[in-house]
Amino acid sequence: MNMKRTLTVVLAVVGLAASVSFAQTKPAEKPVVNPAPTAKDWADIGKLPDWSGVWNPNITDQDKQHVTNPPPWNAKAAARIQFQQAELKAGRPTPLFVNCLPEGHPSWMMISHNALEFLITPGRVTMLGESDGGRLRRVYTDGRGHPPDPDPTFHGHSIGKWEGNVLVIDTIAVLPQVYIAPSEAHGIPNGGDMHTQERIWVEKDVMHVYMKITAPHVLTKPYETTRYYFRQRARKFDIVEGVCSEGYFAPRLDKDGFHVFVPQPHDVGGNRIPPK
Amino acid sequence: MKSSLNKVVRIAALLGLVASAYPVAAHHATTMFDHAKVVTINGVVKEVHWTNPHVGIYVDVAGKDGAEAALWVIEMTSPGNLVRAGGWTRNSVKPGDKVEISMAPLRDGKKGGALKKVTIADSGKVLTADIRAQERANLEQEAPAK
Amino acid sequence: MRNIRREVMALLGVSLLPGVSFAQGTPGAKPAAKPVINPPPTAKDWADIAKLPDWSGVWTHVRSDQDRQMKTNPPPWNEKAAKVIEWQYAEERAGRPPPLFQNCLPESMPAWMLVTHNAMEIIFSPGRVTMLGESDSARLRRIYTDGRGHTEDPDPSFHGESIGKWQGDDLNVDTIAMHPQNYIAISEAQGIPNGGDMHIKERMYLQKPDVWADELTITAPKVLTKPWVTTRIYYRQRLRRLDIVEGTCLEGYFKPAVDKDGYPVWEKITHDPYGNRTPPK
Repeated sequence: MNMKRTLTVVLAVVGLAASVSFAQTKPAEKPVVNPAPTAKDWADIGKLPDWSGVWNPNITDQDKQHVTNPPPWNAKAAARIQFQQAELKAGRPTPLFVNCLPEGHPSWMMISHNALEFLITPGRVTMLGESDGGRLRRVYTDGRGHPPDPDPTFHGHSIGKWEGNVLVIDTIAVLPQVYIAPSEAHGIPNGGDMHTQERIWVEKDVMHVYMKITAPHVLTKPYETTRYYFRQRARKFDIVEGVCSEGYFAPRLDKDGFHVFVPQPHDVGGNRIPPK
Repeated sequence: MKSSLNKVVRIAALLGLVASAYPVAAHHATTMFDHAKVVTINGVVKEVHWTNPHVGIYVDVAGKDGAEAALWVIEMTSPGNLVRAGGWTRNSVKPGDKVEISMAPLRDGKKGGALKKVTIADSGKVLTADIRAQERANLEQEAPAK
Repeated sequence: MRNIRREVMALLGVSLLPGVSFAQGTPGAKPAAKPVINPPPTAKDWADIAKLPDWSGVWTHVRSDQDRQMKTNPPPWNEKAAKVIEWQYAEERAGRPPPLFQNCLPESMPAWMLVTHNAMEIIFSPGRVTMLGESDSARLRRIYTDGRGHTEDPDPSFHGESIGKWQGDDLNVDTIAMHPQNYIAISEAQGIPNGGDMHIKERMYLQKPDVWADELTITAPKVLTKPWVTTRIYYRQRLRRLDIVEGTCLEGYFKPAVDKDGYPVWEKITHDPYGNRTPPK
């Protein structure tokens, strides 16, 4: 009895010591779990500004800013932009966005010619673009920070915070190949280390997307610009699925009469090649 | 250095102004089409590719006055833009339709162009494809109270 | 000077006039029906979402069940389709799996739900359920739950037009207008283009708190002799490190390179007919 008790105590002490020392040498990392949303989380979204609807860009203003508010390119980038301008004028616009890879961030926000929609859910704002599903941003608003080593992506890692009616977004980890593009024929790969800060708000059915783009490899200082989108609520303007790659295929029947997509030749500028 | 950079920016700005006057654009810039010219064809629609990123219309044009018969490909903007800006649906132009199409032609002389206007012979319906014709909120709704 | 101004006005007019006329309706056209407007969501709409079952988190597919159903629950193919499937099995055994999904077009409906090897998430908004797939953002379904019906002549698409209706804790989804090219696939190497007129009914529900099920009834008169019923299951993940990261299928068809001026760019790489990168010689 005594012995048994002693043994139990000894084992308990050893076990405790072992677990304490283990905990001290290698603290177990408790995995972060995303909690299920509560009723309050959903109700709270009702207090946020209403961003429902479909938003199409002010393209005329995009064109204007291409002239009045160009990015502060460094000398090397400016020389290439000048070359691209000459090419454009010569009828050979630089094909920046003809491979169906996403325009990426921040070019999507700057020069998209298509609409987008915002899905607000507990802890996240999701942006979906028209014309291709690859236009998609996940902005985490659940209080998390950036991970220490995020995977670079076309739209980067975005965390957001509501400040009154303004969604403030901080984005890092955008692939270095992603263009900073003031038009569809002018753009420079950001080169890495890009950081963008955005402030997004709505006034009278017009969305304002203010961006401050820091890209030390191609800009001499941060580039500030605000882009505008118009709200549409008519149901006939609901965004219909778009798949950029579909335009590179033609619907045909195979030898057995089954419906198939066959590749469709395009020229370097992204236009279907007219048959001879 | 600074002044030469300014010069670059000024030149870019000047040229940009010229470029921005072109009304048609899509997923890529469109100066491969000669916007100073208008080519008009009359033919029969063979296929309509109602796809992203661009809609394409194939038109059979019969030979006339020594010119050979040819199949043309007319490029446009995306379906969503055509719906909002031009009142299109995917059936606005259908295979078999007799059409007159005016376009900015490809500079390289190939049988293609960027659509400016299509007139459907049977109905007389006219459609354009100017993506800037949608730049206000609440299209098709009453104008919101100021 | 005046001439130039007139020219500029004319130029502007060319682009502005159609805008005015189309915004207000084409002149001469018959009076348009009153447009249907999507109302802005109310506070109650948001609060009501909390009463729906909780489908938050990331949902991962169950490959072993997909494989099992190839044998235990094959689609009722018609004779012509069955022959192709037989040939596809033979090709796969011979080391030549038929490349159904190597062109980065979406797997689409119903193949996405049936044979995906990736995760997905399901987003609730007032009047809509949106499904987003991992690995390529073109895996995207918009299911309208705002009471609308199917449109009269919907544009065919990879995922079709989907109308959803909550019945208790089940979401019943009705989908039409899918491309005839969309495969009904039972694996990544066995599938038949549906051929058109396909109609899919789904019952989506939680089988267990963390097991999501999609019972599909697929009617495809061009390739099936009768409707095919199959249930696919997905497991919930809540670990933050398993959050879906942006995926772009086409990225795998390029490699990062540096151009002559030192800028990072994408360079096309070659693939074999099966979609694998071609090994260097």
